[in-house]
Amino acid sequence: MPATITESELAAITAAKVVDARGSACPGPLLEAKKGIGGVSVGSILEIWSSDPVTKSDIGAWSAKVGHEFLGVLPGEGYERIFVRRGK
Amino acid sequence: MADTEKLVFMVLHGPAHPEHATLPFVMGCAALASDVEVVMGFQADGVELVRRGGVDGLEAPGFPPLAKLMNDFRELGGKLLVCGPCIKSRGIAPDDLIEGAEVVAAGRFIAEITSATNSLVY
Repeated sequence: MPATITESELAAITAAKVVDARGSACPGPLLEAKKGIGGVSVGSILEIWSSDPVTKSDIGAWSAKVGHEFLGVLPGEGYERIFVRRGK
Repeated sequence: MADTEKLVFMVLHGPAHPEHATLPFVMGCAALASDVEVVMGFQADGVELVRRGGVDGLEAPGFPPLAKLMNDFRELGGKLLVCGPCIKSRGIAPDDLIEGAEVVAAGRFIAEITSATNSLVY
C-alpha cells in the first residue's frame, strides 16, 4: 500500500489520537485501529503503533476497504508508526 | 446483491485443534472491523467452542487467546449459530452455551449461506 505523503510530512504530524498496539498479535492491531478511529473526527489522523511488521499492509488494505486514507509509515524503535486519516 | 457484504464461517474444529479453532475468529474479527457482517456457524466438534468455558486457556501460537477473540467478535456484532443436533449428540444443553449463541438447524444455515457474499469452511 503506497504512502500518500512524504516521510518528512509524516514526521511533522501530530495525530489526534495514538493507539499503542505493540506486542499485540493479528488481528489485534487492526481491532485497535477500528476502535481508535471512532475516537477521532472525520479528517483527523490516527496513529497506530505496532511491533508486527504485517500490520502496515493490513491497515493499508483496511483503510481502502472502509474509506479511510492510509498516509504512510515511520520507523520507531522496535515498532512502526502507522498513520491513517479518518475518511467517514 | 445486498447493500451490506456478509460472510459465513462454518467452524468444524474444536479445542483439540487450537489453530483451526482460532483462525475463523481472526478472520471474522477482521471482517467485522471492515464493516462486513459476519455469521459464525458451529457444527461437529466446533460446537465445543461455544460451550461455556470451552475456550478457556486455548491459545494458538502467534495468535491472541481464543477467549479474547470471541469476546471481540461478539462486541463487534458477530453472530453465533450452533447446530442443534451436534450439541445434542455431545450432551450439551442450550443453557450450557455462551451468551448470544443461538441453536439452529440446517435450514437456517442454508438461509445464511445462500444470502452471504461468500462462505468459508474451517
